[in-house]
Amino acid sequence: MTVLGDIMKKTPNEKKILAKMQPGIITYGGFLGTDKRSYLQIIADDEKALEALGKTAEEIADRLEFFQQKSFDSFEASTVVDDTWEVETEVVRGYLPCPFLHQGMYRKSYTTVKNLKSKKSFTFSALNIHLIRVHHFFEGKNSHFRMEPADLLKELF
Amino acid sequence: MDISAFVLFWAAIFTSNILLTNFLGMCSYLSVSREIESSAGLGVAVIFVLTVTSALNWLVYHYILVPFDIVYLQYIVFIIVIAAFVQFLELLIERYAPALYYTLGIFLPLITVNCAIFGVSLFMIIRNYNFLQSIAFGAGSGIGWLLAIMMLAGIRRKLKEKMVPQGLQGAGISLIITGIMAMGFVGFSGIVQIQ
Amino acid sequence: MMITRILTDVALMSAIGGILALIMVIAQRWLSNYGEVSININGKRELKVTGGNTLLSTLSDQQIFIPSACGGRGSCGACKCKVESGGGPLLPTERPLLTKEEMASNVRLACQVKVKSDIHIHIPESIFNIRRFNSVVEEIIDYTYDIKGITFKLIEGQSIDFKAGQYVQLESQPYEKIKDKVIRAYSISSKPELKDRIQLIIRQVPDGICTTWVHKHVKVGDKVNFTGPYGDFYLRDTEADILFVAGGSGKAPIKSILEHLKEVGTERRMTYFFGARTRKDLYLSEEMQAFEKVFTQFEYVPVLSHPETEDNWTGKTGFVMPYFKDAIRDPKNTEAYLCGSPGMISAVTKSLKEYGIDEDKIYYDSFG
Repeated sequence: MTVLGDIMKKTPNEKKILAKMQPGIITYGGFLGTDKRSYLQIIADDEKALEALGKTAEEIADRLEFFQQKSFDSFEASTVVDDTWEVETEVVRGYLPCPFLHQGMYRKSYTTVKNLKSKKSFTFSALNIHLIRVHHFFEGKNSHFRMEPADLLKELF
Repeated sequence: MDISAFVLFWAAIFTSNILLTNFLGMCSYLSVSREIESSAGLGVAVIFVLTVTSALNWLVYHYILVPFDIVYLQYIVFIIVIAAFVQFLELLIERYAPALYYTLGIFLPLITVNCAIFGVSLFMIIRNYNFLQSIAFGAGSGIGWLLAIMMLAGIRRKLKEKMVPQGLQGAGISLIITGIMAMGFVGFSGIVQIQ
Repeated sequence: MMITRILTDVALMSAIGGILALIMVIAQRWLSNYGEVSININGKRELKVTGGNTLLSTLSDQQIFIPSACGGRGSCGACKCKVESGGGPLLPTERPLLTKEEMASNVRLACQVKVKSDIHIHIPESIFNIRRFNSVVEEIIDYTYDIKGITFKLIEGQSIDFKAGQYVQLESQPYEKIKDKVIRAYSISSKPELKDRIQLIIRQVPDGICTTWVHKHVKVGDKVNFTGPYGDFYLRDTEADILFVAGGSGKAPIKSILEHLKEVGTERRMTYFFGARTRKDLYLSEEMQAFEKVFTQFEYVPVLSHPETEDNWTGKTGFVMPYFKDAIRDPKNTEAYLCGSPGMISAVTKSLKEYGIDEDKIYYDSFG
């Protein structure tokens, strides 16, 4: 019964997306970390958290992109923004596809933003910005690039 | 059963909808209605499979099972015929209509376990339909199934931005909606007698 | 009687099942078998292949490697080629990656087109030089805390023909929980005169599948496969002055070019600006300083953007751009070779143009 339930519960697209999020398919650690929830549940929970915090995922993505652009403008050496944040981007060769099945490849740029006052830092890729903006997906718990919306709001705005 | 195939066709879509009146084909209906494009693809495939398997199973029943007196094996035989046909259809589509295969091909294997397909074959036997009636019934049931899943998919799309209570999310609210739609369709009952 | 009844019914059931199975097998043979078809390439070469697979995989089975960054999944568009005839209708998976002009001139995605009948295609001649190589890891050097230099020796008498500056696509093997291979591109850092081995400079990428494999699992003696050479970043054969700008793993193609020039000899005036953060990001400094002694006019200029106090750095600091001025003696007779991220390339290109260097004399290998 559970096998049938499994076949019935996920649409073919959802199964494909889940497969792409596993470790070793697109990234080494995958997109779900140690999270037992389905990716749809992760997105729904984060959306609820965002609503409570009063910010949209798009606004967060815009802010992350702002930092990424600032470091691009300065030839990717580290740069200080508004005396509060230190940003640096590293780009390596190659592209990553998005696990959400649509076409398009995202460059492998890794931006690190450090809040000089609290010393907390976040690292995210160009793919993360896309996942947050378009899919509202912040990745599963303990995944390499997981960022809590609450932390981002506190440290990066 | 003395009813014209034409009337039976329309009855199968509205007054005796395979899903909303007979509650068959619920599993994939509930899960696939999450996405509108997938629902459309699956619905079209169901129409196809229903029409042809009704015809095939009718022929197998009347020309093989009855003459050889193995009517009691109809359950197994119908399922095997459905599975074989779905497999064959997939191969055919992949060869001659590759664009169509990419759009709906993946849904064909999913249909084999759709109980509406099996249910329609059984109904036509129980109700003693002739060949033409069976095809009309099969096609109409398929269109009725497509209608039901597209309605639910559309409603679920609108529901995405709304606040549904935690316990009712997903299957819960979908079943409630389906129940309400079924009640609406009860209004059609009695218009045409198809059994 | 009971027994006869049981036996006949079982026999009938088996017959029904058997006949259906037979129909399926015949259908499968007839419908999925496309027989032998021919692929005509550029009107010159004709290959006889078994139909049914994608153009990309059919050609790679014939040792013709059309570039692909996504492994044939229809995500990257790198496998575009002209299909004059026999490619079937345009598929919905191809449309988003093709422009209107491309669709009008029969450009298709090789990873989506299925070879079902005789087909005529057109691909650039350079693709014929791309081959698949089997190699064995000969040497692993730790250049810095996150950069390794790996030498791959070709086996079975194979040899590779490439231009200094090109790159290869390496295939990683399954390891730990990773069950599939992935394909990643790396620039060749050894000179083209060495035809039986290549060196790649590989830097650990955060959460990277291939770089984690290389840094944690690959040992001397392991078998590794790769295809190549790819890319149109290579030294132009002129007498113009040269500015190299490349940091991090971008040093690899520059090293290849410099080693090649040492082999063939040159009098050209060259300056290499290597931008890095701190002293621990510097590597191959001795080799670069050795080049200064070999060439009559070569200068290696490392520039640290954030030297730490314990580095005791007395060299140049900040960005590399302000230091270009002293290196350029005649902007109209200077070429620039840049390797790195698109951000760096656009910032440096802007600066070089301001110094008067011609845009078409600026050659770059962009990572993204």
